[in-house]
Amino acid sequence: MEQIAIDIAGLTKSYDRKPVLQGVDLRVPRGAVVGLMGMNGSGKSTLIKCLLGLVRPDGGSARLLGDDSRNLSPEVKRRLGYVPQVVHQLDWMKVRHLIQYTSTFYPDWDERWVSELVERWRVPLSDRVQALSTGQLQTLAIVLALGHRPDLMVLDEPVASLDPVARRDFLRSILELARDGNRTVLFSTHISSDLERVATHVAILHAGRIASFSELDELKDRVKRLRMRAIDDFPRELDIPGLLTAKVDGRSALATVSTVTPELLDELAERYQAEVRVEDLNLEEIFVELNGHG
Amino acid sequence: MTDASLEFEIQPNSGVPIYRQIMDQVRALIASRRLPQGALLPSIRQLATDLEVNMMTVSKAYARLEADGALERVRGTGMRVRPPETLPTVAERQEELAPLIEPLVTRAMQLGLTEPQLIASVRSHLKERQSWNKSPSTSRG
Repeated sequence: MEQIAIDIAGLTKSYDRKPVLQGVDLRVPRGAVVGLMGMNGSGKSTLIKCLLGLVRPDGGSARLLGDDSRNLSPEVKRRLGYVPQVVHQLDWMKVRHLIQYTSTFYPDWDERWVSELVERWRVPLSDRVQALSTGQLQTLAIVLALGHRPDLMVLDEPVASLDPVARRDFLRSILELARDGNRTVLFSTHISSDLERVATHVAILHAGRIASFSELDELKDRVKRLRMRAIDDFPRELDIPGLLTAKVDGRSALATVSTVTPELLDELAERYQAEVRVEDLNLEEIFVELNGHG
Repeated sequence: MTDASLEFEIQPNSGVPIYRQIMDQVRALIASRRLPQGALLPSIRQLATDLEVNMMTVSKAYARLEADGALERVRGTGMRVRPPETLPTVAERQEELAPLIEPLVTRAMQLGLTEPQLIASVRSHLKERQSWNKSPSTSRG
């Protein structure tokens, strides 16, 4: 199997001359569970659609499980699972029949697992699809996309219309899917708390590019806020390597850095004659800092 | 020892990476003897399922604890709490004496003492320390 599940290079896309993607680079190793974060309008959906070959990019390339996105083979399509942000299903069908119908497209359909998921999520099998709520529709779409245990699962804001219980169940299912370490998951979200349990990696889309792609643990280990108190006033502008945001108020300063090291702490203590305290940041705080709004 | 999972409390939204939270808590459980020496930890899969976190996260925590010497991997069984540091082997401890013995021997030669005379004087010093013979661990190594 491919070591790199998703390989995007220099991807660009504009709508009405308004650039959305301005050179996206992203290489996702197999087995990763990637949270794609970005503010509203940052182009998460466009990126996902380009990746799946649903939207034609202006430039650059995207490869999925080794195939060019613009020309996916039937084999690769069978190994994919996709849940769009807005779900369209065959409205007139009963849920039970839609599940049966979908299963016929996939030789690897896992009926037992699907029954489990249906039960876990209380999917109303006898209802017609048109009678489902937005949340139920989304749940159904996730079940349908998971049914063949895809090698690559892509979800666009999968939890947006789920209640907290369903969200928790969804995350559990993603963990189950990813358990063997061979299946790759990419999902976009603006709710960072959902990511923190399940994601191995976080990609942050900002200003049309991937501003940061790293392991979640590594990100939390290195992005830190430094609370400093000095004997004399700090200069107005702090000159610190990897500085993301800073606030200076006389002898107090608050600086967020992208990579904290013991050497950096020593250097700052020495340079400013300051006491330096390191504060941990959670993913939401890191996201805000990396977007330059700290 | 599957109930050990209940001892863990993970806060995914804290700034401390989850693998570090697991490491800290395993260490605390060992220190408080809630996880005694030799106790088996839940399997990676079990703990990941119970805590609803990614298996890689648990695996990373266990691997680091193993590298730190807090846990040891038992083939086919899983991870268990390592007994506290055992004494180094006799050979290793003798090695540590070498730098002290070196000048002792040199000085003995300078003074024109024979080997039996040197050993005799070491012995006489040993005799002055009554407790010496009762000291532990002469068998290891």
